[in-house]
Amino acid sequence: MLAAIGAGAAGTALGVAAGAAVASERNEADVQRQDGPVPFWGGHQAGIATAAQDRLHLATFDVVSERRADVRELLRAWTAAAASMTQGGPAGAPAPNALLPPTDTGEATGLAPGNLTVTFGVGPSLFAHDGQDRFGIAARRPPALIDLPAFAGDELDPTRTGGDVVVQACSDDPQVAFHAVRNLGRIGRGVVVPRWSQMGFGRTSSTTRAQVTPRNLMGFKDGTNNLRGDDPGAMDTNVWVGAEGPAWMRGGSYMVTRRIRILVEVWDRANLDDQQQTIGREKDNGAPLGRQAEFDAVPLGERGSDGKPVVPVDAHIRLAAPSTNDGVSILRRGYSFTDGIDPVTGQLDAGLFFICFQRDPRTQFVPLQHRLASSDALNEYIKHVGSGIFAVPPGAQPGGFVGESLFD
Amino acid sequence: MMRAPDRAVALAGALSAVLVLTACRASGSSGSSGAGVKTVAVSLTDAGCSPAALQIAAGPTTFVVTNQGADAVTEFEIVKDGTIVGEVENVAAGLERSFSLNVDAGTYETRCPGGTDAATGTLTATGAAASSTGAASASVDAAVVAYRTYIETKTDQLVARTRVFTAAVLAGDQERARSTFAWAREPYEAIEPVAEAFGDLDPEIDARANDVPANTWTGFHRLEKALWVDRSLAGMAPVATKLRADVAKLHALVRTVELDPAQIANGATELLGEVSKSKITGEEDRYSHTDLWDFRSNVDGAQAAFVALRPLLAERDPALAALIAARFGAVDRALDPYRRGSGFVPYTDLDDNDTRTLSSTIDALAEPLSKVAGTVVGA
Repeated sequence: MLAAIGAGAAGTALGVAAGAAVASERNEADVQRQDGPVPFWGGHQAGIATAAQDRLHLATFDVVSERRADVRELLRAWTAAAASMTQGGPAGAPAPNALLPPTDTGEATGLAPGNLTVTFGVGPSLFAHDGQDRFGIAARRPPALIDLPAFAGDELDPTRTGGDVVVQACSDDPQVAFHAVRNLGRIGRGVVVPRWSQMGFGRTSSTTRAQVTPRNLMGFKDGTNNLRGDDPGAMDTNVWVGAEGPAWMRGGSYMVTRRIRILVEVWDRANLDDQQQTIGREKDNGAPLGRQAEFDAVPLGERGSDGKPVVPVDAHIRLAAPSTNDGVSILRRGYSFTDGIDPVTGQLDAGLFFICFQRDPRTQFVPLQHRLASSDALNEYIKHVGSGIFAVPPGAQPGGFVGESLFD
Repeated sequence: MMRAPDRAVALAGALSAVLVLTACRASGSSGSSGAGVKTVAVSLTDAGCSPAALQIAAGPTTFVVTNQGADAVTEFEIVKDGTIVGEVENVAAGLERSFSLNVDAGTYETRCPGGTDAATGTLTATGAAASSTGAASASVDAAVVAYRTYIETKTDQLVARTRVFTAAVLAGDQERARSTFAWAREPYEAIEPVAEAFGDLDPEIDARANDVPANTWTGFHRLEKALWVDRSLAGMAPVATKLRADVAKLHALVRTVELDPAQIANGATELLGEVSKSKITGEEDRYSHTDLWDFRSNVDGAQAAFVALRPLLAERDPALAALIAARFGAVDRALDPYRRGSGFVPYTDLDDNDTRTLSSTIDALAEPLSKVAGTVVGA
């Protein structure tokens, strides 16, 4: 049974301060890192163009109910809870007496939201599984929501791949991010079961122009040439679904997640020259090889005195650059992770949990990844061990919920 | 299999026959190119080679081959008396790759397979080729000679053993093929970084199922699957024949390799990276579970490189040399429990404790070994 959240408009039923429930008229693309909470309601879901927060907790769930009404109600209840939690409120209205379990688990009480965003998506398997139209929405599966093909070198663990629905919680406070996912999981008890989850501890991309480029676990600055969430034109072109629809996805986006294991011990004993030639940048300041400053344009056409390109032909930044991929550009919004020790090798199980958003994975992520998988020098040090693709619906307004138009 | 072309081994000819191949990326301590290397641009078009008639001065030359949008033409070869003296492959539309050659005076044929009007052309080199400069100290020469002897011996072995293995495949003798599979692979795994430098030869010989598209999968592991999973050699004759040819090609190319101590050392580090990435995890030989044979060969190859460099290293840092030697010993002992006859138990016999122990001894060796290149180059 879904835990009762309360009827009616999400804001007041949860006892949240009235101001927080007011629908945001602002375009999500305008939202910078700010002192107050990130608005939940709007044309786009938050957590995509939002300036990347420091921590991630992402979880996928599989739907165990066979009833369409249950899925619909789940999305409604999740939306209500997320609208509250992102504003610093509890997951549910307080229980009226102590003989009831608390509606909110409590570990975020007194903690600022830390720019918490909660973003929801649906996977291909929600629409149909083993040929079954599970919830009467099979015909609404967007053509762009493909099953990702196999890429060269994939070592995907099926228990870290896929999922009917995804919840991405990002916050500067890991406890707040965790609390959000945990409470949503509880709300979903009986309708969904957890499939796999991922904590991330350091952002590996800047998504706005104001942010300093962080370093990934290879020690290199990551995200220098990322799409910017505060560039509305670039977001409309590359990230937000437009008139091509389907209608229920307009203003949404497609999320691809890839758990990328970095062979840390092997990378760490590669010499500095090798490391820099593999990435295509100086390690210390992030300047492209052949240039002095991080944001200098990458000199893809330039050769050294020995006649060879200064940015090697198989350097990562060359192969990933939009200019060498017919202009393909994606919004990267990933996080570093470590999940202890690999029991087989005794080595660190760590790497980059890659997350990207785009308008159409068929023309963006897929060709890009085929290219990288077959040619990238970086492949010597990484393995893709998990994967997911999800349709992220547009934002919602108070009184509505994320994904509502999918179930109309 | 190692994945991307590696900067480990830049290749140059030394003496007469003058075949010089460089990997796509310049190595950190560039061995051969320097003052006096000319650059020549070649284009691949639908017609084929452009220009069709090349005129150059003899001597060290870098050929920069750019594919101007031709889908059917992706290779450029320079041929003398029927032998390919230099080539570059897999130059897909829009890409560019280069290679270097110390070109003797004379006339050559150029080939761009798949071209329409200019699938073949000519190259004329005039003047005198510069002889390649020798290396400085006697220890460097000795190290290079020692390691060169090792890799040439290994390729001799590889050709001979592959012949036996593929003969069994061609005869349809599954039992014999299974019993010679791991043995045939040993010399390859000992010198894998050297093979890596030759573009696509490594994937053609050693790719696993998920490394390449299904319809281009060839080499040892394709046959491994047929032998252990399909239990049928139907359709495998062309795969066996191609493996023989690829191994012979490697044998010829290895004789053209130019080596310097930093590259030899880096190759050793990469061999141990191979162990960490796919031998300890059992991913290399997924069907036969003969990963420990490959593991041992990777380590043997790294050890041969170290032995070749040891006098040079001992001049600079005797403590490091001694430490590495001791760590090689530890790896050897760590493998002892798994030896059976002249080979090993199947990888599947190992549990997590076993693999963790092996893994940590490899890491303990690889860490000091990774300092050798920088130490022998000095400064």
